[in-house]
Amino acid sequence: MFNSKKFINDQVAELKTSIEGNAISGLSGGVDSTTAAILVHKAIGKKLVCVLVDTGFMRKNEIKHNRSLLANLGLNVVVVDAKQRFYKELKGVMDPERKRKKIGRLFIRVFEEVARKQHAKYFVQGTIAPDWIESGGGLRDTIKSHHNVGGLPKKIGFKILEPLRDLYKDEVRIVGKEIGLPREIYERQPFPGPGLAIRVIGEATLKRVEIVREACAIVEEEIETASRNKEMTRPWQYFAVLLPVKAVGVHGDLRVYKYIIAVRAVESMDGMSAAYSKIPHQVLERISVKITNVLKKHVSRVLYDVTNKPPGTVEYE
Amino acid sequence: MNNKKKVYVVDNGGQWTHRIWRVVRDLEYETKIIENTTPVEDIDADALIFSGGAARIGWETLKLGKCTDYLDSFKGPILGHCLGHQLIALYHGGKAGPADIPEYGLAKIKIIHDDPIFKGIPKEFTVWESHNDEVKEASEFIILAESDNCKIQAFRHKTKPHYGFQFHPEVNNTEYGDILIKNFIELA
Repeated sequence: MFNSKKFINDQVAELKTSIEGNAISGLSGGVDSTTAAILVHKAIGKKLVCVLVDTGFMRKNEIKHNRSLLANLGLNVVVVDAKQRFYKELKGVMDPERKRKKIGRLFIRVFEEVARKQHAKYFVQGTIAPDWIESGGGLRDTIKSHHNVGGLPKKIGFKILEPLRDLYKDEVRIVGKEIGLPREIYERQPFPGPGLAIRVIGEATLKRVEIVREACAIVEEEIETASRNKEMTRPWQYFAVLLPVKAVGVHGDLRVYKYIIAVRAVESMDGMSAAYSKIPHQVLERISVKITNVLKKHVSRVLYDVTNKPPGTVEYE
Repeated sequence: MNNKKKVYVVDNGGQWTHRIWRVVRDLEYETKIIENTTPVEDIDADALIFSGGAARIGWETLKLGKCTDYLDSFKGPILGHCLGHQLIALYHGGKAGPADIPEYGLAKIKIIHDDPIFKGIPKEFTVWESHNDEVKEASEFIILAESDNCKIQAFRHKTKPHYGFQFHPEVNNTEYGDILIKNFIELA
């Protein structure tokens, strides 16, 4: 079985010997990047600066909330506002792989700028097994280029360290719990690095990202409430996706023609395979009613995705 | 520690190669992933598991690195998953090609011939699939299990310790997957 105590001791010892001077880490506040950052913090203490990039593709209130949560863990967190740069980079980009690669490249550029200021030669990220497996290479086909692996530029101004590279999400949660992360972080649902940009199918404009941000917030709130009330168990991952097609509807005797939102929720252990969640109909109905009412200017229809992985993937792009 | 069986996972480029490694490790056997170009004389394992992969068996006579060398001269049991299963069939004179009805995700398996590899497992169970190709003929094998859309889901060679699963026991959604892998390793 996976021995988390041994893993932590081994990794901290290795990080201690491999890092000279300062290091920075890319930190989103998710379980992977936070666990990686804490391991490095244990190894080199104050010589670690954690960088939280506001890409403009984060969920509702996420940057503000994560900043205080992470600072409470004793980490030195720097927030970089790169919203305009990310939106500019994705202007007119439709293809999901180009999107992921552009995001990956810009992330690295932002981290390089911070590394130069901090005189850091090492960059730590929370890459886990599915990231490099699905990014492909050698005999393996590319399913999707994870921003932190398949989306990296060729020339990079620092050495990358990935202490969680061989772990899956369920193992990272065990490590996270063992090193004292709050439950809110080690039980947090996965959220992709490219964020809401890949939950808008097609061009990720400010307006469309705002629609999907609100829809994701509704899905999270309704599912978490229903789970607390024992109507269902909380799925492994749950979110909304904005589809680039419209459907006819009727609002107060008037015709409308607006976007479609897909709701996705899956059960998994490690993200490498998944079954769609059998959410009770009354919960799905509450989600549908709330999305179509709160987002009435933009959305007239809600679908629930009943695809397993394979043949689907968890996210859409 | 030293009497632990050694089971190596031969990487044919599958999405779930690393998953096989993890299941074998969690069963507390000694394991590592090896490239499918590793010379057979360098392999000191007690059993081998061939991963699946993206290559299409129907389009060419595929060798998958040195996998056929392992089937020639590796002495212990070998289990092939998916593409690995199809290669084992071809090696022993069977046929494989594009599936009439490819299966992705959930499928129901029915055991049609009892075998030690199914010890402790009910006659019908749910598995996860992901295949474009399938085994069409395997006359040198005993066919052990089938699904509605694929008649050769599991087989065992008549005389050699070579097994194949078209489905993926290493995937968490497959029921009894770890038991199937353990039963196989215990043949070694």
